[in-house]
Amino acid sequence: MLQNRIFKRFTRNKTSLVGLLLVCFFAFIALFAPVLAPVDNARNPYQMPQSSYAIEPQAPSASHWFGTTEQQYDLYYGVVWGTRFAFKIGITVTFFAFLIGLLVGSMAAYFGGKTDEVIMRLTDVVFAVPSLVLAMVIAAMLGPDIKNMMIALTAVAWPSYARLVRGDILSVKQRDFVTAARALGAGGPRIMLRHILPNSIYPSVVVASLDIGYIVLTAASLSFLGLGAQPGTADWGQLVAMARNWVLGTSGNTLAYWYTVFIPGGAIFLFVLGWNLLGDAFRDILDPRQG
Amino acid sequence: MNLIEIKNVYKTYTRKRFLSFGKKDETPVLKDVSLCLKENRVLGLVGESGCGKTTLSKIILGLEKASSGQVIVDGKDISKLSKAGFKHMRRLMQVIFQDPYSSLDPRMNVSQIISEPLDIHGLYKEKASRRKVLEDLLKSVGLSAEHLTRYPHEFSGGQRQRIAIARALALDPKILIADEPVSALDVSVQAQILNLLKEIKQKRRLSMVFVSHDFAVARFLCDEIAVMYKGLILEYAPAEDLFSNPQHPYTEALFSAVPVPDPARQKKREAVSLSSRSDMENHPCPFAARCAYACAFCQTPPFLKEVRPGHFCACAALPFKNKKSSFAV
Repeated sequence: MLQNRIFKRFTRNKTSLVGLLLVCFFAFIALFAPVLAPVDNARNPYQMPQSSYAIEPQAPSASHWFGTTEQQYDLYYGVVWGTRFAFKIGITVTFFAFLIGLLVGSMAAYFGGKTDEVIMRLTDVVFAVPSLVLAMVIAAMLGPDIKNMMIALTAVAWPSYARLVRGDILSVKQRDFVTAARALGAGGPRIMLRHILPNSIYPSVVVASLDIGYIVLTAASLSFLGLGAQPGTADWGQLVAMARNWVLGTSGNTLAYWYTVFIPGGAIFLFVLGWNLLGDAFRDILDPRQG
Repeated sequence: MNLIEIKNVYKTYTRKRFLSFGKKDETPVLKDVSLCLKENRVLGLVGESGCGKTTLSKIILGLEKASSGQVIVDGKDISKLSKAGFKHMRRLMQVIFQDPYSSLDPRMNVSQIISEPLDIHGLYKEKASRRKVLEDLLKSVGLSAEHLTRYPHEFSGGQRQRIAIARALALDPKILIADEPVSALDVSVQAQILNLLKEIKQKRRLSMVFVSHDFAVARFLCDEIAVMYKGLILEYAPAEDLFSNPQHPYTEALFSAVPVPDPARQKKREAVSLSSRSDMENHPCPFAARCAYACAFCQTPPFLKEVRPGHFCACAALPFKNKKSSFAV
């Protein structure tokens, strides 16, 4: 039944298909990054090769397909390895945020009462502060580093999962099959792991797929502000940051250095768009109200 | 022998409010309920929605705790059982729920669903014997081995209820609590499931507590029937005696609402109206506000008294001198 619905959705709805294709396309680039853009510095492949120290970006040419950015970093290399970097950040952060949210949310729902009250008010506190601002504060406190940036992103992303998981567990807990399991003599852990979690985890999976794009976007913002990846790292946000001085072009030709902004910016745009469309598709597929 | 004895059970739901200033919302659900279930008999609990019949069945199962009173199953007080004793009690007593769409885990197939009780209690661990048990269980509820790998959504309501019955029977219980097992099914399927329950009851020598709001269904299966209203038992009698001689005005009103399959007779029948009167709200009898017979005689709280051999009725105004008509079905 589920397979049928997935198939139907993707054949009927063009935007879902676009989302799937975009994500697959980026996944392909990320997977074959070493083939598409051979590594120069084997110790740190995320370090972009630099052909010289000249300041002015160079337009796309045969040796630099996408051109070069400030200080002659190769944009093509940056975009290709940046894709792998985006996946690494998006998936790691979403995974840990999901895990923490799942633990916290199920604890709140399972114990209920005062525990629930305390845990949920704590998540509300995190919710109350705009997530980008909070991530900036945490990242700035920990110091500019990729690992710290991921910690900051995880710290702001988990509450939405906690809230979602808690609500779904509370609703599944009411269903008769849970009472039936209790009547059969099943213990708490068994009911939780065999009945409640498998039936309440799917909405969170949908949010996670939507979140991957959003987290990459936030990570790019942090890098742009200098709170994430360091100069020279193949990171989309970093590439956009390096284009900052060249956005306005030369006098009389605003688009003189268009490639420095549009290429990494376009990559971010398409990546986030792809995950959003795919997440929408997942949401509709897993929604039981859609036949 | 009494398999289940319910002694003076009270149940009150308390809702504590945040910032309640000591006030509590208390809703009494069961008031002084005493009943017993004899071996190889079927006890029916009948009443309108919200009268406490499901709560009572949950208390018997130990899924809810009574506020006071005792439930004794097979000679043991269930509120005093140890964890192991409670688990053992599960093998004695099983349950079938009303809604077969919500009582089966949608992410488990039939084999996993029926295996679960066996897994929990560590029975038939060997693969071949497990398979044989599962097949026998399915056969006994009218399904076949090919259904084992299917998921609940592939079945109709009646078939799902059969799966739920198979799961309840897996532990080979002596007592089955059926909480409105057919009211979510359509009428033709109701008959099949009722026949199945009757057959299983006879074959396995089961005792049953059968919760229903439908007298026709209760009459088919039950040996004794308790009529409940607002958490009280108003009438308790052997099924046939209840149907031929309803005593309580409430039972009478309920019978009058059940249509007779004879147009000529049905036309002559007059429904007893259950109009609600606001001036009776503080009456000691909870039914007074809707009772056609409420009068000066019944200013005392009603309690169950034997009005005919084995037939108990809780009405202070009994016996009626001017009974309008008989609504025996």
